[in-house]
Amino acid sequence: MDRAIVVDHLTKNFEVNVKKPGLTGSVLSLIKPEKKIVRALKNISFSVQPGELVGFIGPNGAGKTTTLKVLSGLLYPTNGFIQVLNYDPWERKEEFLKKISLVMGQKRQLWWDLPAIESFELYKEIYELPQHEYAKNLEELVDLLEVRKILNIQVRKLSLGQRMRLELIATLLHKPEILFLDEPTIGLDVVAQQKIRDFLYNYNRKYNSTILLTSHNMDDVVNLARRVIVIDQGKIIFDGILDNLVSQFAKEKIIKVSLSSEENIKEIGKIGKVKKISYPLVILSVPRQTVAVAAAELLQNFPVEDLTIEETPIEEVIRTLFKGSIKNKK
Amino acid sequence: MKKYLQVLKITFQQEFAYRLNFIMWRVRNVMQIFLLFFLWTSVFSDPARQFFGYDRSKILTYVFGILVIKAIVFSSRTIELSRIISDGTLALYLLKPINFFKYWFTADVASKILNLSFSLVESILLFLILKPELFFQSNPIYLLLFFISLVIAVFLFFAIVFLINMFSFWAPEVGWALPFLFIVIIGDFLSGSVFPLDIFSESAQNIFYSLPFPYLVFFPLQVYLGKISIPTVINGMFISFGWLIVLWFSMKYVWEKGMKKFSSEGI
Repeated sequence: MDRAIVVDHLTKNFEVNVKKPGLTGSVLSLIKPEKKIVRALKNISFSVQPGELVGFIGPNGAGKTTTLKVLSGLLYPTNGFIQVLNYDPWERKEEFLKKISLVMGQKRQLWWDLPAIESFELYKEIYELPQHEYAKNLEELVDLLEVRKILNIQVRKLSLGQRMRLELIATLLHKPEILFLDEPTIGLDVVAQQKIRDFLYNYNRKYNSTILLTSHNMDDVVNLARRVIVIDQGKIIFDGILDNLVSQFAKEKIIKVSLSSEENIKEIGKIGKVKKISYPLVILSVPRQTVAVAAAELLQNFPVEDLTIEETPIEEVIRTLFKGSIKNKK
Repeated sequence: MKKYLQVLKITFQQEFAYRLNFIMWRVRNVMQIFLLFFLWTSVFSDPARQFFGYDRSKILTYVFGILVIKAIVFSSRTIELSRIISDGTLALYLLKPINFFKYWFTADVASKILNLSFSLVESILLFLILKPELFFQSNPIYLLLFFISLVIAVFLFFAIVFLINMFSFWAPEVGWALPFLFIVIIGDFLSGSVFPLDIFSESAQNIFYSLPFPYLVFFPLQVYLGKISIPTVINGMFISFGWLIVLWFSMKYVWEKGMKKFSSEGI
């Protein structure tokens, strides 16, 4: 098999009812519903190799979740070609469904009132796993995610972090070749997030399974994905290695200076955007092209003790991407 | 099919997890029978009295029959479907290699088995307490027809509940209200589980009989009691089976439409 996922010129439009505010609006929308077309994905193309771990980032409503839903067969594409493991996802054939899994951080698939082990038993039958395989997979996942003690406790009584780890087991019992994760760490505390991330990282390496994840949490993306796809307003604006993201999107560099006196310190804002002043340290952000000039000016006009020029940290680049402010910068 | 056996098992456990709800639901059913029982025993205080073709033993059998048949026909998990559609959990079901209809039907069967076993125990207890004279059908043909009519009733109810719940595809906010109204109005009244429908005028009865609802409770009980002639029974079976076909295909059709809606809006 060559490529795990092929997406070619995919477009997805939603039709939504628009309701005017107030009671009159409600009545009007009943009589004459007003439809609006929302263009969620506009002609996107990409492909993913088996074993890749790809992170989707972009602001709210950019189309990340929509992409995952189309790829898993939940949404019918308006236009374009998609192939996942050589299947057309929309047909949702049983063999296809047995090879994929979708985790939605906000939706639960474990039986709320029963211990998780009961749900696992059900999934064993649903995915028609042989007993020895099921036992082996379960044993392994339980160890990796450290959940042995909570297997027999009603899911409703568990914390969100514990539950999320069990949800992951439920979706991985059948060893899917492709794993779609939509906000897997949403609502978790830092420790729990780290546990999930470590697990996904090891899982991806160990089984060479393809993982696509969307997240609001930039730590997820920075720590997990080597390749990122940035989506904004339904379009792919970046697809590549994480490190290249910085040089492409960070239009500014960071200058850090240590000053020997506070003299003229108010004037320093003329040279670049002041990000932080905590004497003796001043951090400035300066356009890439003029960074040398700015540094020279600093040395000339201010009592500089030390000066360094750095790239914008990757977290910050992503943060700006999340805010959707790319267009303004371009 | 081991898959569905496991669905059966987990649904049992789920029902047990809500023990109190389940018991309250059973209590409600038993209370209803108590009320009806005392109402009809006072109407039929004279054992020789006949009313709308019922004598004392037949009307009391009707009352007990309601308890058992409601447990078989009306017990359902499919009523949760509207919630699953409106909160989007449906997506998770769609991504499992399992047939959605079979899944829910199996869950219903689990609920039916559980309710039926309880209703049988309740009937025996009530029988011991109230010591009513009951009518036992001995004609095997009527018993066979009774059994067939019950099977039709079960599938009819499934299709009706499924259809009503699918309303959530288009109006997620009214999701729960509609099935609820259905259970209260149609379920109890038009199906004959409050009063036998033959106390109504003939023209009203004709209308009822052309609808699918009496075939859920009233008709099977009429067959058991042998109150209608074999040709009338056969005729009723044709009507109810006709309804079953119509509703079953509507269910599949609406499902397709709903899926399209679901997939174009991603609710």
